[in-house]
Amino acid sequence: MTDVTVAEGAIARRRLGTLVDGGPAWLGDRRTAAWDAFTALPLPSSSRDEDWRRTDISKLRLGDFAPAGPAAEALVAAARARHARALPQAALVLCGPDGAVSVDHADSLLAQGVIVCPLQEAALRHPEVVRRGLSAVGVDGAYFAALWNALWAGGAFVYVPRGVEAMTPVWVSHLAPEAGAVSFPSTVVVVDERASLTLVEDRVGPGDAAPRLSVGVTALRVADQSRVDDIPVQQLPPGTWHFATRRAALAAGSRYRLLGATLGAGLEKAYWDVLLEGAGAEADVLAVCHARGRQHLDLQSLQLHRARDTRSNLLYKVAARDLARSVYSGLIDVERDAVHADGYVLNRNLLLSRGAVASGVPRLEIKANDVRCGHGNSVGHVDDEERFYLMARGVPAEEAERLIVTGFFADVIDRVSQESLREWLTALLAVEIAGAPAAEPEAATEDAAEPGGRGS
Amino acid sequence: MSSAPLTQSGPEPPGGGSAVSAPAELRVEGLRVQIEGKRILEGVDLRVPEGEVHALMGPNGSGKSTLAYTLMGHPKYEVTGGSVSFAGEDLLALTPDRRARLGLFLSFQQPTAIPGVTTVNFLRAALRSQGRELPARDFIRRLGEEMEALRMDPSFRSRYINDGFSGGERKRAEILQLAMLEPRLAILDEPDSGLDVDALRTVAEGVRRVMERNAGRMGVLLITHYYRILEHLTPDRVHVMSEGRVVASGGSELAHRIEAEGYEPFLDAFSSAGREV
Repeated sequence: MTDVTVAEGAIARRRLGTLVDGGPAWLGDRRTAAWDAFTALPLPSSSRDEDWRRTDISKLRLGDFAPAGPAAEALVAAARARHARALPQAALVLCGPDGAVSVDHADSLLAQGVIVCPLQEAALRHPEVVRRGLSAVGVDGAYFAALWNALWAGGAFVYVPRGVEAMTPVWVSHLAPEAGAVSFPSTVVVVDERASLTLVEDRVGPGDAAPRLSVGVTALRVADQSRVDDIPVQQLPPGTWHFATRRAALAAGSRYRLLGATLGAGLEKAYWDVLLEGAGAEADVLAVCHARGRQHLDLQSLQLHRARDTRSNLLYKVAARDLARSVYSGLIDVERDAVHADGYVLNRNLLLSRGAVASGVPRLEIKANDVRCGHGNSVGHVDDEERFYLMARGVPAEEAERLIVTGFFADVIDRVSQESLREWLTALLAVEIAGAPAAEPEAATEDAAEPGGRGS
Repeated sequence: MSSAPLTQSGPEPPGGGSAVSAPAELRVEGLRVQIEGKRILEGVDLRVPEGEVHALMGPNGSGKSTLAYTLMGHPKYEVTGGSVSFAGEDLLALTPDRRARLGLFLSFQQPTAIPGVTTVNFLRAALRSQGRELPARDFIRRLGEEMEALRMDPSFRSRYINDGFSGGERKRAEILQLAMLEPRLAILDEPDSGLDVDALRTVAEGVRRVMERNAGRMGVLLITHYYRILEHLTPDRVHVMSEGRVVASGGSELAHRIEAEGYEPFLDAFSSAGREV
């Protein structure tokens, strides 16, 4: 049993009561059920839970985190600047850590009948669609998803009606909470039949290394014959504990493309689940991850083939240096009815320091006949011949390595179709690769709240 | 002695960048090199004065490529004796990138592919590191001219360097780099291998063009098995290597004799020292 029910912090029954009272009854029931499930579950354990075998969060004290206040002006400005540089034409949904939400540049979308609004508002005004969106994320499954379901506030909601191709992308900024606080970033997206949407989800915070907690869910429901491009960027501060679930449910003939960049947080456990529920649904998941310092970044992916003729492809490229650790596990699960399923999962890791560690475990579970599935995994270092070739042209060793690492990510980044967004992502990666010194964890992080520690 | 350093601190030696005073002469004296404990070079003596074209010939396994890689500073090759100077600098004390900045260039026999690094980005990084960055428009125009002269498709600009290039495309890409970087001494390791007659002419003309543009100041050390490329790039001197030594040196007529008689006569007659013929 979790002991947080008696805590004074943000994660407490009192908080649940406020949220239940302030929302519609169906949502209150959902929150209460989730809270009951959450409090009945123990904190995930690396010795007990297979999902958490290589990620130890025993030092996490949920009760220590305070409710988040409004975002600092500087952070809001930074988040706006990222949007303005990368994709200024996109509608902007700024989600503060305290649940405050503002929507800008959405006029053309609203004129198309697209709904872009705070999730809490949508739960009141469009309950049926929100429930459809949330239905992919169960309330009683995993620990942090249950916690999110109970206590989320604020967040973004996007609905694209049948037959509408959203004219502009939607950019959702989730701002990290202040030091010592917790936020529950939330995005729910429903794209109806023969509609399309490009979503960017940017998680950003200040540069300091104070402890923070972020527990988020992104739920996407993609209806028949529709298309979604989903671009999550995670650049949270280095002291952040980040627990995130991203789940896309794909109906018949739909096409989902996820292109992600994971750069920040101190300790992350992310679930990326793609549920191919309708015949002919297709998903491509392409992601890069750059880990440095003492970051511990854990991605667990699921490609669940539930229907016939479904196709999924996942490529996850990780570069790790310093004492950083990357943990990846990926499952392709082909259910009995998913005949002619085609699934592939590939994880490639590049280690840049002796102290960096990366592990990848792709797996297949196939219960259908006549399928085509495969997996691959590699761990390597910067190739001596490549480095020498660059140096032979005058490029110093350190810059040669930076070019090679940048090149390692290129086959993912090059597939971003919007030029300004591609250039922005390239620039974000360049800063990480160049290794502008990350803020050192504060002295106070010797205590239990430091994520990414090595259990010393 | 040991293999070339890959990282280096301390001030840049004179000659880095473009302001260069000492003549770009290469002097190799008694060079001994081993790789993974196996002795390959057994005391190589060689001198290439500034602006001269020297051909280095010899049977497979005689140590020609080892010499080329050692001069450029490949970390795999361990120098166990002798000395190398270039433009007055002790080359063996320098990292490969500093050797390049001093004006040395190696056209690789089998250039390495670097996935994700485009030819454009690669060349810009190289020029920048040599202190010779061009404004973007000038760079692109210049690159376009050189590629046209080498009959390379413009798409190569944005292709990853050497990645998926055919053998001939790689050779041209090496010469493209030579043309863009304009070194003071170009070591060309079999730039002709695997090329058909037309491609060979294109490559050789590419080298000639750079030489002419530099008014005879660029030297060339051309490693080859074949006489054919020497019809395009007439050498001032020809050297024959065998079993880790230069066993014969002479004028361009030496290449004719090799073409006619093969290496055998040289190997038998001059197995002990680099003799003038």
